[in-house]
Amino acid sequence: MFVITIWMASTIVFFLPRLSGQNPLAEKIYQDAQQGGYLDPDVAERIRVFEAKYGFDKPLWQQYVKFVGDVVQFDLGRSIFQWPKSVNEILAEKIMWTLSMGLLTLILAFIIGSIMGALLEWKRNNWGLMVAMAPILAISAVPFFIFGLVLQLLVFNVNNEFPLVYGHRQQVGWPDWSDWNFIFSVLQHGFLPAMSITLVSLGGWAMGMRGMMVTTKGEDYMVQAEAKGLPERIMLTKYAIRNSLLPQVTGLSLALGLIISGVVLVEIVFGYPGVGGQLLQAVRSNDYPTTQGIVFVLAFGTAAATFVLDMTYPLLDPRIKSGGS
Amino acid sequence: MEQVQADPTEITWWDSFSARSEFVRDRIVPILRYTRRNRLVLIGLGAFLALTLFVGISYLFYSQVDLLGERHGVGGLVRAASVQANQRPSWNPWSGYPLGTDLQGRDIYAAVVVGIPLSLRIGVIAAAIGVGIGMVLAFVAAYVGGVVDAVIRTIVDSLIPIPGLLVLVLVATSLNPGQGLSVDQLAFVIAVLAWPGPARVIRSQVLVIRERGYVEMARMSGTSAIGIIFKEMMPNLAPYALASFVAAVSGSILASIGVESLGLGPLDSPTLGSMIYWNIFNSSVLLGLWYWLLPPIVVLITLFVGLFMISAGLDEVANPRLRRRV
Repeated sequence: MFVITIWMASTIVFFLPRLSGQNPLAEKIYQDAQQGGYLDPDVAERIRVFEAKYGFDKPLWQQYVKFVGDVVQFDLGRSIFQWPKSVNEILAEKIMWTLSMGLLTLILAFIIGSIMGALLEWKRNNWGLMVAMAPILAISAVPFFIFGLVLQLLVFNVNNEFPLVYGHRQQVGWPDWSDWNFIFSVLQHGFLPAMSITLVSLGGWAMGMRGMMVTTKGEDYMVQAEAKGLPERIMLTKYAIRNSLLPQVTGLSLALGLIISGVVLVEIVFGYPGVGGQLLQAVRSNDYPTTQGIVFVLAFGTAAATFVLDMTYPLLDPRIKSGGS
Repeated sequence: MEQVQADPTEITWWDSFSARSEFVRDRIVPILRYTRRNRLVLIGLGAFLALTLFVGISYLFYSQVDLLGERHGVGGLVRAASVQANQRPSWNPWSGYPLGTDLQGRDIYAAVVVGIPLSLRIGVIAAAIGVGIGMVLAFVAAYVGGVVDAVIRTIVDSLIPIPGLLVLVLVATSLNPGQGLSVDQLAFVIAVLAWPGPARVIRSQVLVIRERGYVEMARMSGTSAIGIIFKEMMPNLAPYALASFVAAVSGSILASIGVESLGLGPLDSPTLGSMIYWNIFNSSVLLGLWYWLLPPIVVLITLFVGLFMISAGLDEVANPRLRRRV
């Protein structure tokens, strides 16, 4: 399944941009050649050389075979727009921002949401909890970046000193990861985007957990635990939550794709330095290799994470043997 | 005519109404009774109805005089500038523009009124195509079985982990590079990825329903496969199909807003997503133009929460185990 997903992703990523019938390479070279104010006479020759370099002169199927071959070795080619940078270099700068944002918010939302859902069912008719959950459930249907815009509006009107855009302090020189002030600024800038993803996804996890807790509470072993006179805390943590958590873990692999799509948009709203802005720029300038690279790496990341989750599931649930359907 | 009262303690207006027709009594009344208990669907439908009324009433009664002194309804107002473009965007509801005017001097109220049906249209077209394809695939997979089933299942399962928005971005840019898509084109683009979800849900339901007693019964009495599908299985699948349709509408609108916010949608039509795009593009939050950003956001939140409630409520209809104990 994992291999098929990767193959499909690379196929989609290869053919879709080529449907447009444009020649971004020629456009870019013309643009560069005209910058001096007159058109270089040997520009056609230059286009030919570069097309050979990119392999655009070969028939489509040869390009495709080469592309798939390269991609499985993580050689994503060179950018057209930012020549001579390779796509790997471009991604290396940005991907950590996106991945860390996605993973961090996913895990935060998963843990907090599951605990909230468990408590919601365990302490039925607790008004405080229900009042706290109502808005969280309501916003769980709203897209991440729309909620991000709401947060921006709110924060801007409350305290317009708080950073709304960019991922870190603007400074001269390269980001300096040994400087505590810089790290603090990274956390401060990341707060709003992280909040907009976490708060929105809390509701889904809470609802899923609550549903599972309803089923678990009806099980015989819960009755037995109560009959044994186990303390309520142990019944909740060791019996109810442990058993309800398993299906939630399956939900994680489905949530990954959504989170990644969401993070890309949130990054654009917040001007965050991840791959979102890069993707937008590459799409606008018709930079095939970069667009392909970004989409492929993100699809690969989600597929790989899904695969790892599926593989670890039997470890968490000994009833399922690996290789089962 | 004798009146069969299901619950003699409550006599409501629809009971007296239902006495007149058996159809109403047997089919409609139980649904109404149930919706009264299923608050989620009611609230969701209420939100939806409120939006519809807002759009309808505004189309009928709202008009403004534009720069040339001509009076336009909402449709004309989104094309014509209402105030001169060299004036500052303003929010002064008492001077005739209820939600103010934007950077191009257009009436924000009119833009929102026109934008709601456009965005809904994208969602409904995409979801209809998506659920349609998904349903056909689901029946084919569940009925033919064997290799066909395996192929369809593999394709669906391997498409689901791919982040949908990214593929949509690729499709949207490659179809019409440089200029945005039209509203209907965008709907078709979104339909490209709207089918795997419904296909998966409906396939598993078809497999369950196929083994039920009444389907077995129909098969033994010689009903054709087509007859079984349409007469026996479809009515029982309806709640699932409806729930996944509503979820697909919500998902498609979400996808359209995403694609549009990247500036790849119909930039000349005031759909809610392109309003958001122009807001992000002009960084309206930092300019203090909150009244430009707020209306599309409020409408979108109402829409998404409403659709979410309807689909959660329908899930409850489809899955009796989830039904609240009374």
